Amino acid sequence: MDFLPTNGAEDNPIEVAAPRMPAAAPELEPGAPTDLELMHAIQEEDPEALSLLYDRYNGILKALILRVIHNEAEADDLLQEIFMEIWNQAKNFSAQKGKPLGWMVTLARRRAIDGLRKKQAYARAGERLQNETEQQPDAWVHNATEEEITFSDTRILVRRVINTLPVAQQQAINLAFFRGMSQREIAAHTNTPLGTVKTRLELGLKKIYDGLKELRDEL
Amino acid sequence: MSFEEFQNQARLYVIGALEADETETFELARKQFGQPAEDCIAQCYDMHEAFALSLRPAKSSDALKERLMAMVRKRQNT
Repeated sequence: MDFLPTNGAEDNPIEVAAPRMPAAAPELEPGAPTDLELMHAIQEEDPEALSLLYDRYNGILKALILRVIHNEAEADDLLQEIFMEIWNQAKNFSAQKGKPLGWMVTLARRRAIDGLRKKQAYARAGERLQNETEQQPDAWVHNATEEEITFSDTRILVRRVINTLPVAQQQAINLAFFRGMSQREIAAHTNTPLGTVKTRLELGLKKIYDGLKELRDEL
Repeated sequence: MSFEEFQNQARLYVIGALEADETETFELARKQFGQPAEDCIAQCYDMHEAFALSLRPAKSSDALKERLMAMVRKRQNT
């Protein structure tokens, strides 16, 4: 299964102890500024706010980038670029359109997928010239960060929702979300009829959407 | 397109899985449905956050943060 790296008890959601319900994002220390407050401060060009936002989310965003491009050094470069973009583009953030973390994740994912496509285009050009560049082995998130694992209620519960999906649905969502593939590209990549891919994506995403909604409603 | 179909398409739209022709149809329906459509799309974007939160955080070096903050301060001073 290629959707999310797993190990230990998290492989089987049934074995995961029932934690309390999650917040939408990691819990904050009492008195700590909210994400929205930090975004407003960044809009006012307060570097300390960016520093705090970095401390809070660099791990999540780097994990996301690594999940897409599988290269530690490139992930660090992209992470730095993304936080610079957060700083530069903060004025375009609007709380009416969503939460700060969602905005940052969307931005990070887009940049990571762009980076992946550039790499793939470069690799294809290299193949045509029969002059392939030797690549570093993939640095999977769970290998690179095993010591840094912090088990959070949120992560366990989100994964519990995802793990209820059939493997084929997880795979289709993985290819769409983390590789940026369209439905046709997924169909070609997995040698699956396009209609089947559409159905898998629609059913899988609906289950995740409904599952997350249930979690929120139970809060 | 019914609103239920629009919701299905919205979930595909936010992860970029719609084909070009489907995106065109989706954008038309988005205009037709108005604010409920925008609310639906905003909710679907929550899935991005959830996917990211489902991953184990990865460690970055302190030097990376120092470089970033130096760039920010340099940008402020120009």
